[in-house]
Amino acid sequence: MLPGVAWAHATLTQTIPGFAKRVQRSPAFVELRFDQSVKALPNAITVYTAKGKIVSGRARGGTDRRIVTVPVHNLQRGGYTVRWRLVSADSHVVSGVFTFGVRRTAPKVTEAFGASGPTTTEHVVRWLYFLALALVAGGLGFRLLVVRGPLPTRAERRFYLLTGAGVVAAIEVGILAFLLRAEDALQLPFGAFFYGDLSPLASTRFGTAFVAMTLGFALVSAFLFLAWLTDRTVLLWPAFLLAIGFASGLSLSGHSAVDSGSSWLSELADWAHLTAASLWVGGLVQLAFVVWPLAPGLRRGAFLGFSKLATVLIAVLLSAGIYLSVLRLPRLSDLWTAGYGQVLLVKLALVSLALLWGAAHHFLVRPSLERGAPLFAGLPRSLIGESAVGMAILLAAAVLVESRPPPRPPAAPSIASHASTP
Amino acid sequence: MQPAAEFVHWMFATGFLLLGLCLLAQAVVGDEVWRRRRWRAYLWPGLAFLMGVLMWPVMVLYTNSTIHMVAHGSWAQAMMLAGGAELGLVRGKLKSSYWHLTMPLAFLVSGTAILVHEQNGWLFARAAFLHHLIGWLMIAGAIFPFAAAFRPRSAVWRSGFALAFVVLGVLLYCDRDVAPIFGHISAQAGTPHR
Repeated sequence: MLPGVAWAHATLTQTIPGFAKRVQRSPAFVELRFDQSVKALPNAITVYTAKGKIVSGRARGGTDRRIVTVPVHNLQRGGYTVRWRLVSADSHVVSGVFTFGVRRTAPKVTEAFGASGPTTTEHVVRWLYFLALALVAGGLGFRLLVVRGPLPTRAERRFYLLTGAGVVAAIEVGILAFLLRAEDALQLPFGAFFYGDLSPLASTRFGTAFVAMTLGFALVSAFLFLAWLTDRTVLLWPAFLLAIGFASGLSLSGHSAVDSGSSWLSELADWAHLTAASLWVGGLVQLAFVVWPLAPGLRRGAFLGFSKLATVLIAVLLSAGIYLSVLRLPRLSDLWTAGYGQVLLVKLALVSLALLWGAAHHFLVRPSLERGAPLFAGLPRSLIGESAVGMAILLAAAVLVESRPPPRPPAAPSIASHASTP
Repeated sequence: MQPAAEFVHWMFATGFLLLGLCLLAQAVVGDEVWRRRRWRAYLWPGLAFLMGVLMWPVMVLYTNSTIHMVAHGSWAQAMMLAGGAELGLVRGKLKSSYWHLTMPLAFLVSGTAILVHEQNGWLFARAAFLHHLIGWLMIAGAIFPFAAAFRPRSAVWRSGFALAFVVLGVLLYCDRDVAPIFGHISAQAGTPHR
């Protein structure tokens, strides 16, 4: 089933074999059907094996000018990528990609032949997404769980500015991330990519997460706006719950959901890890950039309140992080031999630094504040420093999320199978 | 299950028509009368904001081309921004009247987006013609909210602003037909229907 038809250039309405379909026998041809006439050049449709071998012949149009076919020859068991590029009858180039499998599951469209995997740009975009999530979820969490009462006007305005910037960034960066992934899968020059068909990507786990999270954060932005408009803090609750709820889209479409060994527990741990990190970093940002400069009367209470919350967050962060590390790195040596492990080591080093920093706040600054001692003059800079380390951890996490964990070793033969061996 | 694209266009056409009629009523009777019921002041800005929120599902569920998706995203944001700014002004949360300029900005962004996202020429078919017409209407129509921001009591600018939405609604109702326009239809446009 394809999405509704866009009324413009020719749009692909049906394919044989279907998108991401598994077929039991080799098809004799691949057929594309459009809603308008198209012109088929000889190389209009190319079918690749997983290793990039071309297995299709010359494409040709039929008597119905909306249909283009290409013959394929006795396809063996495996996954295949179809890349198509046609001239729409109105002279615009339309193009796309889809996959199918012969006697096996079709590869994901993000793993189609020609897709190159995450680039540095994607790492940066993922990092920006984490930062946006921290600003919105952490900001809302801080406002609702730490500083519950009214804020001075200027502080309230800055809170809404920072959180609003976070939710807008979450939407925009989410769109950018989706388009970058689509560009990678489609492998088209920028001009042609404008008219590329994104529907195969939208039906992947990543695409579904994009759809859900964009809608979720659009709702978060609406609630946040209404809370600001009506001065009703209670409206921040649905915004907060939606933000942390829809953040699960990342966990449900990432390693924790699809890699071997994944389960509902790994998805839950990933979500808890992400949520705790967002609340921690976002809370620090609020403390350093909203309460400290604009609400002097609330500094002491906010610091002590956040310190209590941070203790819980760190416990969740560490326990979920350790569980996920053990799950994804079956051998200790993977830490220094696999690329994924090396990035994890960098992340662990940064986490250790952040923990030391947090411990200094918790065990040195907090007791003196509880005794009513004057506020430490360097504390705002120290909070900004801790926030910066938190953001660096999110960068390492972004690279980690886009990297592939090392493969799990094959399971050892069971005692039963040994027993049955003659 | 997604509604047919025609229905989505008609739903938004209805929204724009209501929005235009509210604005027209306000321009005719004047602010004093219109705002005797306090909720009426929030009516059209709230509707614009809501339509922006409702545009997001259209953006993410109809992904058959990049430009189509990006265009719908820009309309969602333009409507939320302009509607939100007007709500902020009505509520008194925003003080500067320059916030009214978000509406002409939304017109310009939306008009440009619809022109860029329509790839066929004016006379390709009725829908292509209407897309071009709507695009240029939005760009030219930006003059009305722009002038109304500086001349808020001018009935001419305010009525023009209202009528721009009414015309937009009517054009959207006519959209999405494969049908000739002034006797022309491209041979590639498909079989005319309805």
